[in-house]
Amino acid sequence: MSHTLTFLGLESSCDDTAAAVVRVEGDRAEILSSVVAGQTELHAAFGGVVPEIAARAHAEKLDLCVEEALAASGMTLTQLDGVAVTAGPGLIGGVISGVMCAKGIAAGAGLPLIGVNHLAGHALTPRLTDGLAFPYLMLLVSGGHCQFLLVRGPEDFSRLGGTIDDAPGEAFDKTAKLLGLPQPGGPAVEAEAKKGDPKAFRFPRPLLDRPGCDFSFSGLKTAILRARDEVVAEHGGLPRQIRSDLCAGFQAAVSDVLAEKSRRALAIYLAEEPATPAFAVAGGVAANSAIRAALETVSAEVGARFLAPPLRLCTDNAAMIAFAGIERYRLGARDDLALSARPRWPLDQSANPLLGSGKKGAKA
Amino acid sequence: MPAEPILLAFDTSAAHCAAALLRGSELLACRVEEMGKGQAERLMPMLEEGLRGVGLGWRDLSGIGVGIGPGNFTGIRISVAAARGLALSLGVPAVGVSSLEALAFNVPRPVQARIDARRGLAYVQDFTAEGAQPPELVEWAALEGHDGPVADTISPEVLIEAIARIAAERIASGADLPRPAPLYLRGADAAPPSDPPPVILD
Repeated sequence: MSHTLTFLGLESSCDDTAAAVVRVEGDRAEILSSVVAGQTELHAAFGGVVPEIAARAHAEKLDLCVEEALAASGMTLTQLDGVAVTAGPGLIGGVISGVMCAKGIAAGAGLPLIGVNHLAGHALTPRLTDGLAFPYLMLLVSGGHCQFLLVRGPEDFSRLGGTIDDAPGEAFDKTAKLLGLPQPGGPAVEAEAKKGDPKAFRFPRPLLDRPGCDFSFSGLKTAILRARDEVVAEHGGLPRQIRSDLCAGFQAAVSDVLAEKSRRALAIYLAEEPATPAFAVAGGVAANSAIRAALETVSAEVGARFLAPPLRLCTDNAAMIAFAGIERYRLGARDDLALSARPRWPLDQSANPLLGSGKKGAKA
Repeated sequence: MPAEPILLAFDTSAAHCAAALLRGSELLACRVEEMGKGQAERLMPMLEEGLRGVGLGWRDLSGIGVGIGPGNFTGIRISVAAARGLALSLGVPAVGVSSLEALAFNVPRPVQARIDARRGLAYVQDFTAEGAQPPELVEWAALEGHDGPVADTISPEVLIEAIARIAAERIASGADLPRPAPLYLRGADAAPPSDPPPVILD
């Protein structure tokens, strides 16, 4: 049986406004269109994403992105089977704008509405790109998140570990800021690191001395700050070559930690004896080629297939949201016009919170 | 004779969900629910219930009016985003109307519309026989010398009916209307980073 489903997806949980049309036929998924409108220039002066600025941009860009995605896909709303939207977690002003726009579209077009967890969108991307079978191990590593997920089904995730403070992407951004490099920090630090000596500075490998798959990256950022201040005090500024060395040392530390923790997470996953072991990575940090190579090596060591989606599907996009919406829809999930936007929404509801508590609930 | 246009207006710029439905110039329904939070969840179900209550559905709409504030940033975005989504899917125009315009609706000119903006500030707009001045954010103290007529009180019921009627007029005028956008009148409260980057030495 090959029942075709075509969904519109909307994403607005951070600083990218995105819309996409995805079609799934049996096991085959096709991205008919994927539009991403970034906001980098709006936040450039502030050294990070400003939630209110992001929300303002999303509210006035979402419908334009949807129109563009529909036009590029050659589809009209009446030919679609549903509307999927990121309903969290993320910066709430943007998420609310996306959810409300999606409700308006779904109501007016008489289409089912499916709320999607942004993290599920990333975690299910290897199925969108490669039709990967469950269960697989996923490392989600971005500006806002860092966690290992054992993915057993479209709504069945077990978290094996995650960050107890910053996400690596955040550490890249902060490092870039400390070293006078442009935002987003990931590509800027990676480019500098290529020119540097990774052994010139020895930065800490946080939590490597402890068992388990949890991460901590905030101490690393402090170590960069201290090293920078020492260099500035000695030279009266930051020499370019030393900046490259700092970047290389930082990237090596992040890479080492991610690789070693991946080794441990893979051991837990392989103990379940999956038929075709696979280790997938998603999120913006997966775009870093040094980190990607380190993870690929670890995966090869244990004979697991390694998958890293193309960059445009690693970073925030709406194709993954449309696809995750289709996966939920096939399981019978339906949301209604009362769908809530949630700033916090852990994928694995049973795991102990690593971050956040109180009346807002667990962040991760 | 063509059927009378049906316009749905809604507003969540303050602590309420408010909606009004016009057929031509007849007010078919008006509904206000007071709430401090939860507008994002309640708005669309409330609109759907209201339409169904008079035997109509989304596809009967020929236009949308939406409150663009000024007021609660998130509240304004809730309605504006929903209005833009509805306009897209229904293929009908959506028109943004400010609360200041609604305050001055059907009030003899000149009149100054005012809304409390908190922190000692007010959103203000002057409406004269010649037209409307640009809306502004000013200190309440600066308004003390003003001795002309002022419109500063409006119930959510009157507000939403005014938004509906102004939107209906604009659509009927046949003018090229921009997509509704929030009227913030206030910056995003973002400050550049305090710690300067290091001096880079070549």
